[in-house]
Amino acid sequence: MAPTTLFRSEEMSLIQLYIPAEVAQPCVAELGELGKVQFRDLNPEVNAFQRAFVSEIRRLDEMERLCRFFNTQIEKAEIPIRPLTAAAYGSRARSAQEIDDLEEKLKEHEGRIIQMNGSYETLQRRYLQLTELRHVLRETGGFFEQAESRQDTIRNSMDEGDASTPLLEHDVEQQNHDEMGRLNLGYVTGVISRARMQTFERVLWRSLRGNLYMNSAEIDEPITDPDSDEVIDKNVFAIFAHGREIINKIKKISQSLGATLYTVDDSADKRRDAYLEVTGRIEDLNNVLSNTSQTRRAELQKIAENLTSWTTVVRKEKAIYHTMNLFNYDVNRKCLIAEGWCASNDISIIQHALKNATEASGTNLPSILTELTTKKKPPTFHRTNKFTEGFQAVIDAYGIARYREVNPGLFTIISFPYLFAIMFGDVGHGFLMFLFALYLVLNEKKLAKVDNDIFSMFFSGRYMVLLMGLFSMYVGFIYNDMFSLSLDFWKTGFDWPTEYNSTDTIEATPNGNVYPFGFDPSWHGSENFLLFSNSYKMKQAIIIGVIHMLFGICLQVYNHVNFKNKMFIWLEFLPQILFMSSIFGYLTFCIMYKWSVDWWALDENGNHIHNAPPNLLNMLIYMFLSPGNVNPEEQLYPGQGPIQTILLLIAVVCVPWMWFAKPYYLKAQHNKHHYQSVAGDDDVAYDEEQNGHAGGSNEATEDDEEEEEFEFSEVMIHQTIHTIEFCLNCISNTASYLRLWALSLAHAQLSSVLWDMTFKIWFGFSGVIGVIGLFIGFAMWFSLTIFILLGMEGLSAFLHTLRLHWVEFDGKFYMADGVKFEPFAFKTVLEAKSE
Amino acid sequence: MSGYNLIWVFIAGVIASAAGYLLTPKGDNQTVIRTIIIMTIACCYMSWAITYLAQLHPLIFPKKTGLRPHLE
Repeated sequence: MAPTTLFRSEEMSLIQLYIPAEVAQPCVAELGELGKVQFRDLNPEVNAFQRAFVSEIRRLDEMERLCRFFNTQIEKAEIPIRPLTAAAYGSRARSAQEIDDLEEKLKEHEGRIIQMNGSYETLQRRYLQLTELRHVLRETGGFFEQAESRQDTIRNSMDEGDASTPLLEHDVEQQNHDEMGRLNLGYVTGVISRARMQTFERVLWRSLRGNLYMNSAEIDEPITDPDSDEVIDKNVFAIFAHGREIINKIKKISQSLGATLYTVDDSADKRRDAYLEVTGRIEDLNNVLSNTSQTRRAELQKIAENLTSWTTVVRKEKAIYHTMNLFNYDVNRKCLIAEGWCASNDISIIQHALKNATEASGTNLPSILTELTTKKKPPTFHRTNKFTEGFQAVIDAYGIARYREVNPGLFTIISFPYLFAIMFGDVGHGFLMFLFALYLVLNEKKLAKVDNDIFSMFFSGRYMVLLMGLFSMYVGFIYNDMFSLSLDFWKTGFDWPTEYNSTDTIEATPNGNVYPFGFDPSWHGSENFLLFSNSYKMKQAIIIGVIHMLFGICLQVYNHVNFKNKMFIWLEFLPQILFMSSIFGYLTFCIMYKWSVDWWALDENGNHIHNAPPNLLNMLIYMFLSPGNVNPEEQLYPGQGPIQTILLLIAVVCVPWMWFAKPYYLKAQHNKHHYQSVAGDDDVAYDEEQNGHAGGSNEATEDDEEEEEFEFSEVMIHQTIHTIEFCLNCISNTASYLRLWALSLAHAQLSSVLWDMTFKIWFGFSGVIGVIGLFIGFAMWFSLTIFILLGMEGLSAFLHTLRLHWVEFDGKFYMADGVKFEPFAFKTVLEAKSE
Repeated sequence: MSGYNLIWVFIAGVIASAAGYLLTPKGDNQTVIRTIIIMTIACCYMSWAITYLAQLHPLIFPKKTGLRPHLE
């Protein structure tokens, strides 16, 4: 059993569990709490509706629906739900009795809530209707009085031409009813939404040809419509017309347009009585409504206390039954057979958990765990802790590692913050970043519960940001850049002249001292600082890039050894590394050599010993264009010509080596294997069948067939692509590392411009203006530092570092075609559902 | 101040890495801690060494204009 390291994924074993049917549920619950086994589906042909535990799942589905219903009700009533503490997650498995009880309780609660909701709605509707009626009663009083004075318009179409008594001239209360009846003057009163008022009037006018008198008044307050539950403005209307047919027509039209009709008595006394009665009823209803809502609230509060734990229990049970559906039910021995992947190092823990579950349930039937040998490809499992998790996630986003291949996540822990720091190097900014990450780390437990998506992204990378801050501070000291200012701790390596005028350009002279750590502060503020620092940063980027990529190529060796392909070290690794080293390794060497030579050194006579310092870029280009010819005036070291020719030859030889060696080797292997396996074919087939008995026999024969299948042309094409890709990538990836220079230049320039433009300009002022100016200037400088330099530049550098890791580094050795290990764990089930 | 400082510091780095390698306690995180220590020493040394090497024999010297006259 291999020890646990992050270097490669864990060794996985295929285990088979025999669980007696009685203890199945507790055992699976225990395994769910443990979260270390990924179960395989042993019934792939079975439809989801035909599986063994469908009825239980349906029951639990119903219970989950009830919980969701409670959830929405509680949220509508704005009652806070008590969240579950972390300890409660680890609650024990529920027995079947407890699930039944829970179901009963849920159904009971549901019944009560639905009842209360229903009665509340009915009461609410009644209340609204009464409110509208009250408005109608109020307003129509005015209408009837107005109708008195308008009786001429109505009477015009009537037969009684000389009816001397005008309709409503006399005392309205006494004669109203009779006269109305005599003249067939009917009225329709009701309420309609203000938006529909115009349409209503127009339709009525058109259909009744103007034989009506309509009056309306606005209701001041917006009313909640009882049917649609919206708050809208309404108008009261009263329509006076004669003839029963017309009245019926009016009623039909108003109902079709969504008006609510209310009958109103035409005598003012009766209307007043009705008004008082309605007001009284409204008071009563109000009381009843508030009582009902209070009771409902109390009920919901009671539910809210337990809702989270109920929901958790229901979800866990559902997950358990879903998992049990994957098992094979052995009728003869009344037990369930489960198959799954788990880490080999975890087998004893799993056995222990099973034993606990069996003991807790009180039976004596043990569960048996056996390991199977198999040729199937296991899932990849990296055992991470809270520190390494963030880095591993970054690599997994690119691709999951193949089973047992080298894990780049281990090296990312340091190389990621380092490359980030090269692009971000500033002591001040690094320190601020470090403080931010420190806050996140120290308040881990509290901040883990925050729900915001963007925040949780930063939170999950808190250790990465911590290291990024630390490295940025270190590289900031090296670049001697602290909020764009330089620090001078040690004696500088340059001496400045003391005799000069203000208009002169003065040049410093070296005094033999080398600034021990980082950039010499004499460079700060000089005109040609960029000339020096650009050259330095570009060369540094190339050196770091070449070393990073060579390291990536070297990691191949481990993969070849681990997958029993030692020959590939000679066929693939060696030509790759020779190609890379002979061109770019040589370039790195030249960079470092050129730096180590004192080009301006004078001999005893005062003459220069060396020629002028050569341009490295030209040197590399001419190495390819005219190999072997090196101009003595521009040589880097004596003997350069022949050495460069040899290196070029090595590189040229490597290309066909990479291209043809591996396919021909594989072909030779295949031929040899083919002859051997024809003889031993029968034995091999029987062995495979015995091993994969629980549904695995298909895969075994597939493996056999795979080995037989070897297309030389396919391998050749694949290798061609691989070779071309590698050779071109050598150049492009090396150049790609120049982004380390580009971003650090941008950062430094931004930082210095920000300082100069927002803060430094205020130093010249004094007095009140100076004070206020400095205050504003600092505010601007600090907020822009946080948002632009830390936020924007930080994200940008992060992205570029990510790209460098994914493409340039991982591309050299990482296969990334694995399957992730996803164990059955309640934690993941609960987290997934809550999203 | 000479180029040989580079070599002394390199040797010091190697010794520190070896010490880190040998002295990490056994356990689940041994590989991680070892990798962190060795890689940090390597990266930090590389950065420092490149900077030091680049300034050993400078090819150009700083120029400044518009300075106020030297006081002393």
